[in-house]
Amino acid sequence: MGEGSFVSLVGPSGSGKSSLLRAVIGLQQPLSGTVETVLGPSEIGLLFQDDALLPWKTARNNVALGLTLNGMERGKTLVEADTWLERLGLAGFGDRFPRQLSGGQRKRVALAQVLARRPKLILMDEPFASLDAIVRARVVRDVVALVEGGGISVLLVTHDLEEALTLSDDVYLLSQGPRARITKHYHVPIPRPRDPVHSRAHPDFAALYQRLWADLSDAVDHRVEAA
Amino acid sequence: MLDPRYAWLRRLIALAVVLGIWEAVGRAGFLNPLFAPSPSRIWAALVELFADGRIWPHLEATFSAALGGLALGIVVGVLLGVAAALMPLVAELLEPVMSVLNAIPRVILAPLFVIWLGIGIASKIALSFILVAVLIFFTVFTGIRQVDRKLVERVVSLGGNRLALVRHVYLPSVTAWVLGNLKVAVGFAFTGACVGEFVAATHGLGYLLSFAQSTYNSALMFALILLILVVVMLIFVIAGRLERHLLRWN
Repeated sequence: MGEGSFVSLVGPSGSGKSSLLRAVIGLQQPLSGTVETVLGPSEIGLLFQDDALLPWKTARNNVALGLTLNGMERGKTLVEADTWLERLGLAGFGDRFPRQLSGGQRKRVALAQVLARRPKLILMDEPFASLDAIVRARVVRDVVALVEGGGISVLLVTHDLEEALTLSDDVYLLSQGPRARITKHYHVPIPRPRDPVHSRAHPDFAALYQRLWADLSDAVDHRVEAA
Repeated sequence: MLDPRYAWLRRLIALAVVLGIWEAVGRAGFLNPLFAPSPSRIWAALVELFADGRIWPHLEATFSAALGGLALGIVVGVLLGVAAALMPLVAELLEPVMSVLNAIPRVILAPLFVIWLGIGIASKIALSFILVAVLIFFTVFTGIRQVDRKLVERVVSLGGNRLALVRHVYLPSVTAWVLGNLKVAVGFAFTGACVGEFVAATHGLGYLLSFAQSTYNSALMFALILLILVVVMLIFVIAGRLERHLLRWN
């Protein structure tokens, strides 16, 4: 993956997409092979479907925690946390506990927690799956803007082919596991900066979507036949 | 339809009615005061306890034993629970012992503590302690093993080491579980203190109760039961406040 690139992994359930992400961050040991990265652990951020905020910490303290663990001094972390909450449209919500926030707001706090650490790479595992359509569209738009603006690379795992195509520069299709491998690669020529909603209107979008859909269906059909 | 806002008022009225009937039946001579003294006699006995000041050393003895046992039980219960949750060997050795202690009515140990520790406060603290410690041990032990894996992974992915995990994940979780069981623990602590005083003592509410029993002084007995009830309810209120404040995120 190159610097600042947005790459998506799509594939049938059980193709090991999530395991791959977990192996990159070191939460899981790969069964074989190695993960090569030039980045240190503090330069990689994680955004999962579950926001996993600490329920006993306020939004501000959740964001600050990520900075404290990076070695930043306590007073500075709180200022920095407020700045990021504001940037994500959560000004004034710093004192709320996760329970007192909506799903979309919690996702934004989790995002602030990741972005505040100024990562070079963010690993995302179905990060928007739990959000309803309108909230999701807004959060996705903000994520794209912040990621493009910060020159951050993203490795996204998703079931949503539209999401993969509108957000990514490159999409990789994984085959059915076990022993899943990358079977197809698609380059997405939609120019940046992108608006995820408008990207769907790009002339190449429909054709790419159909190809991706057909290939993914094939992968799933193979599984059905094998069974 | 019952207006839920006035539930307390209806309960109060019901209580007054019950006490009124009790009093009336007692005065009419239908109740043997040896078994069921009227509310006014119980009240008089309670007032007398405070009026001549002889209740204070007993209250102090029971409180010291219960709160001492409670504090000690929480500290030891948390330490053992954390140790067992984090070190498999400790869990292996400790779990069967704790399970047995959990299964038996622990107050049967009271006579043993008297032999070991004498009839002073130490044997009461020990009984309170054993009642509370086993409860807290299981609370913490099962609690830590059920800590949300996602929170642990989150902190690890943010670069947190073992110390950070303890501080930011395990400790707040443990606090939440202990506080959630604080009221039960308070009840256990007073049970331990009072039962210990039944068995052998020179002071304490349990000792007074046992004295009232041996002298067939049922007015004193009711007065003491009422007093213990009020005391424990007061502590419940304090514990509830503490719980609400510290668990306001929940």
